[in-house]
Amino acid sequence: MALEIQNELFDSLRLELRRGCLILAVLAQLRTEHYGYTLRKTLADEGLAIEESTLYPLLRRLETQGLLTSEWREEEKRNKRFYRLSAEGAAILTQLLAEWNGINDSLHKILRDKKER
Amino acid sequence: MDLLERYLQAVGQYLPAKGKDDTLAELRANLLAEMDGRVEELGRPLDEAEVAAVLEQHGRPVIVAARYLPQHSLIGPGLFPLYWFTLLKSFPLVALAYAAVQMANFIFGGGTNIGAAIGHFPYVAFTFWGVVTLGFAVFEFAQGRYFAQVKFAKEWNPRELPALSQQKGPSFANRVADLVVNALIFLWVLAVPAHPYLVLGPGGSVRGLPFGLSPEWHIFYSQIVGLLGLMLALKFVVLITNSASWRKGVELATQAVSILILVVMVQARTYFAPSPTGRLPSLQILTSVNYSINLGFKIALAVSIVKFVWDLWQMVVSSQAKHNRFVRAL
Repeated sequence: MALEIQNELFDSLRLELRRGCLILAVLAQLRTEHYGYTLRKTLADEGLAIEESTLYPLLRRLETQGLLTSEWREEEKRNKRFYRLSAEGAAILTQLLAEWNGINDSLHKILRDKKER
Repeated sequence: MDLLERYLQAVGQYLPAKGKDDTLAELRANLLAEMDGRVEELGRPLDEAEVAAVLEQHGRPVIVAARYLPQHSLIGPGLFPLYWFTLLKSFPLVALAYAAVQMANFIFGGGTNIGAAIGHFPYVAFTFWGVVTLGFAVFEFAQGRYFAQVKFAKEWNPRELPALSQQKGPSFANRVADLVVNALIFLWVLAVPAHPYLVLGPGGSVRGLPFGLSPEWHIFYSQIVGLLGLMLALKFVVLITNSASWRKGVELATQAVSILILVVMVQARTYFAPSPTGRLPSLQILTSVNYSINLGFKIALAVSIVKFVWDLWQMVVSSQAKHNRFVRAL
């Protein structure tokens, strides 16, 4: 397989793998209130860099789905939109985390069995 | 900040009016915060190039705006398998129906241009694709809005699976023999102009024979050669293809070509004509011979059409049975 095609395939699979994880990370991080920029900074500081153009629309989508609530508030003389996990979002997050842990445990077990870790 | 406002204006051009101001206000706040972060890092205000770099990093306006729009697809993943299956299964039927109509036009409509009929087919195929796609797109749009969303049913009964097919196609040896016979027929037809005795028998080489091949021979000969060449190519496809359904389709196409050959032969009417150098004892005998040959071709044509329609019907029934099983699984 040509290196370029292999890289493209890796990028595509990586994107697929990250997509669900990012939603989980955003929901988990928004247990405390953030606005877009600080949320991105916090996630990046935790090692999960995410593009602005991906994160900001994602926040609005999650809000439309009822998983987040938001409010405009002035901070440092500027109006900002702050997001927080809703009650429904908290319930979904609990379920998703259980699912995530199950997958993670299974994957670790498979990799340990195969000595590939 | 002129660049930022221009950027927001460009993004706003692609956003729907509803919620646009809100989206742009949030985007402005986030971008200003990004720039403040950079100012903090550098310890000085940003110049225009640095502002441009922040905006460039954020993305092209059209792409940024697109990410704020709801996700749409013409035909969603739930419906796509059915759409694809419908296209795949219906297309051969469309091709065959078109061929049948053109053939009927050829036989009963006083002749048609085969080249024009073939050249028109892409338009028919494109129209078919457009209509099917539009139909599914309308269905996709309407489901969930005007009626419940169609989903694959989880419950299904494995016992309803069709029995293992016992039908076996012709063996490879049979297909090779078929190809060889067709190649020999093709060569025979190619050799006829130089060696008339291949049609007329040993008498064909006798000078002064009272009859010979009719002048019309040259008109239908090239059509026959072309159709036989096409048939040979189709036989070759039958030989190399491993897919039974494909083979069935190509076999039907070869039947259609053989019908066209018979149509050409039927339309010829006069196969033998009095020779200018020979003395024909009775013109009536030659007329009877031509009539008998024509009648033979007509009977062969009728039998071939009945066989073709029957095989086509069998294929449609088999295809519909598969389609119904697929739809039942929904």
